[in-house]
Amino acid sequence: MKTDKKTLLNLLCNYGLLIALLLIIAAASVFSKEFFTVANMLNILRQSTVVGIMAIGVTVVIIAGHIDLSIGSTVSLAGIIAILLINNTGNDWWAMTASVLAGALVGLVNGAIIAGIKGRTCDSFIITFGMQTVVAAVALIYSGGNFLTGRGRGVHSLIGKGYVPILIFLGLAVLLELIMKKTPFGRCVYFMGANPKAAKMSGVSVRRNTALLFVIAGVCASLAAVVMCSRVSAASPTSGKGYELDAIAAVVVGGTSMQGGKGGILRTLLGVVVIGVLGNALNILNITTYPQMFIRGVIIIAAVLLDVLGSKLSSGVVSK
Amino acid sequence: MGKSEYALEMIGIDKLFPGVKALDNVTIQVKKGEVHALVGENGAGKSTLMKILNGAYRADKGEILLEGERVSIQNVNDAKRLGISLIFQEMNLIPTLSVTENFFLGDLKKTRLGKVDWRGMEREVEKVFEQMDFTVNPGSIVSDINVAEKQMVEIARAISKNAKIIVMDEPTSSLTENEVAKLFAIIEHLRGQQVTILYITHKLDEVFSICDRVTVLRDGQSVDTKAIGEIGRQDIIEMMVGRSVDMDYPRRSVRPGEVVFQAKGVRVRNKVYGIDIQLRRGEVLGLAGLVGAGRTELCEAIIGAAPMQKGEMWVKGRRVRIRNTTQAKRSSMGMVTEERKETGLALDFSVERNISITNLKRLARCGVYLDKKQEAQAAGAYVEQLGIRTPGIRQRVVNLSGGNQQKVVIAKWLFSDVDILILDEPTRGIDVGAKFEIYQLINRLVEAGKSIIMISSEMPELLGMADRVAVIHNGVNKGELTGDNLTAQAVMRLAMDEEVPD
Repeated sequence: MKTDKKTLLNLLCNYGLLIALLLIIAAASVFSKEFFTVANMLNILRQSTVVGIMAIGVTVVIIAGHIDLSIGSTVSLAGIIAILLINNTGNDWWAMTASVLAGALVGLVNGAIIAGIKGRTCDSFIITFGMQTVVAAVALIYSGGNFLTGRGRGVHSLIGKGYVPILIFLGLAVLLELIMKKTPFGRCVYFMGANPKAAKMSGVSVRRNTALLFVIAGVCASLAAVVMCSRVSAASPTSGKGYELDAIAAVVVGGTSMQGGKGGILRTLLGVVVIGVLGNALNILNITTYPQMFIRGVIIIAAVLLDVLGSKLSSGVVSK
Repeated sequence: MGKSEYALEMIGIDKLFPGVKALDNVTIQVKKGEVHALVGENGAGKSTLMKILNGAYRADKGEILLEGERVSIQNVNDAKRLGISLIFQEMNLIPTLSVTENFFLGDLKKTRLGKVDWRGMEREVEKVFEQMDFTVNPGSIVSDINVAEKQMVEIARAISKNAKIIVMDEPTSSLTENEVAKLFAIIEHLRGQQVTILYITHKLDEVFSICDRVTVLRDGQSVDTKAIGEIGRQDIIEMMVGRSVDMDYPRRSVRPGEVVFQAKGVRVRNKVYGIDIQLRRGEVLGLAGLVGAGRTELCEAIIGAAPMQKGEMWVKGRRVRIRNTTQAKRSSMGMVTEERKETGLALDFSVERNISITNLKRLARCGVYLDKKQEAQAAGAYVEQLGIRTPGIRQRVVNLSGGNQQKVVIAKWLFSDVDILILDEPTRGIDVGAKFEIYQLINRLVEAGKSIIMISSEMPELLGMADRVAVIHNGVNKGELTGDNLTAQAVMRLAMDEEVPD
């Protein structure tokens, strides 16, 4: 009996999210015929791509034991750059490249500072928090504070349509998952998250890797921006405001620990889908915005509790 | 009260962890006012037993009696309330607070106005220190005092809280001989006051010089309890390992060759003041000195883990500049740190992943794609070669005993294939059997052409293992000893700066 209970708990910690997802889908399907349809599922995925792409980028940072709060502002800035350049030059590829380079640059500055001071989680929290304001200001200055409407009809306008954003999202997720699980860099990132001092003493280039982490997060944020402003064919200097928290929430719900060293891109993918499906289900069930917020908050807290319980279980602290 | 002659009895204790029976019907009875040694190899179950005693774990079976009365210890607070105090190897003091604050942590005294009564508390701490003949300033910040002093503070704190049973876990592992003598004086003093002490150690010398009785654990079972007068060292060792062990240091057949590493004029701010060092191929260079003499700081600076103010280095005749550990690794240097849990291992990660981290390039096909089969093979080979006792290479390192963890740290540097290896207190907190294995391993390494710098505070280890010993005192190399000059007395004299060598 004892072990039964334990395996059940273990199961809940490891697959709780998947179970929750299935339950939500089952419940919503009962109440609505439109919910569990291919069209609606694709729609959910498409809606999730912007926060999703940001989330997989910031997952890498979180696994290393850091945090990046500036990605929301990066989305705003990268979106502004993309639309402005498309409108002014008419060259979509060049505009998108510049947009991504801007994201990389923000990440590089974050990373260089944090690596330079050998910062820990609390340092990256404050520094990227400061960077959030700086980048938001740059976006406002660069755009003159204006909402910009895209006039382009080129490649960029196609990126947000149909399957394209979903493919970009899933493609990036697979790529990052491979990088994290199959390359020396990914292995080092996990190790740095688990014990940065041991990583350093083992001769891991902690500084170089730290800088690289934030570049990845920045690049992902700017790719999210490219997708987003293609979808709406517009950019606002505050369009990404607050998105960083949605992205981090998806990471946490997915089960990547804020302590570092644990979690993964695929978990975040699942987290993004669960939050997306839940939001959609609640909409279909005619639950209004405020109760939705409440439920989303509860789920984030529950995710953390499950994570803590899970790690206690695996270390054998919880007896019986 | 006082119904029983035993202050503490733990009877028939069982503890199961997933896949392992850590404790199997363990019984230990400790008489009032005695110093009771608890010995056993790594993984024998000492730590688990003590964690049950202080409420960190709960036993699956068995009972705990204090002075003959059954008690239930559900958590750490229960243990505290019952007067049980543990002094761990890992210090339980908060480094950023003062000694006084640490002393009264949790119940700061207040003046009548509700203000914290610093003066009153400091006076009280001073009084306790005076009784025990300490010279620590209650106002100093804990991170500024040395390990020995921290330990003294912990003992004093336990006593001031009316602890009736004090468990000391490897209390002398980072103390110098002087400090050990002082600790023993304190233990004598406590014995005089009828405080019961459970003394966990790997050093048999200490068992015989300070303890009254000894209980031996082996593989999660209590082997026996004996009075010290009844038995000898060899008996204890045999009880611990269940076989007889050769206590001599293993011999090696290699003679040091050409110079492979040289450092000149190494300076580290406030710690090291111009040290020259040379290391030959196939040599074990011992670094002796008191705790805090600057040995660790010197080595950290050499491998780029800490900034070197000044100094020049050569590896195999080539001038090198090393600013970080990655560059050190490229110059074929690595360091096994003293604090293996803090700086040596990712405890939550598997044996395999901890070993491979130093040389992922070797496993990467085309430099990017990790070959997991090769990784598993390499890890498996080291587990076998070093005799790492683990259920498998996927086992998390946190579940291994100290000696086996240390072997994992060494394995990872073997995997990185560095030629110059620095070992900082390689056998600290490791039992006799595993120690001997580490020594054999060191010999194998130098026989394979590696060179080793070994920092050690254990005299017999230095004398038994090193070809040459450099003695550091206050950040200065006081002299090097080899051959017939290499004696315990000579090392001690230099380490304490009592005499200039001739």
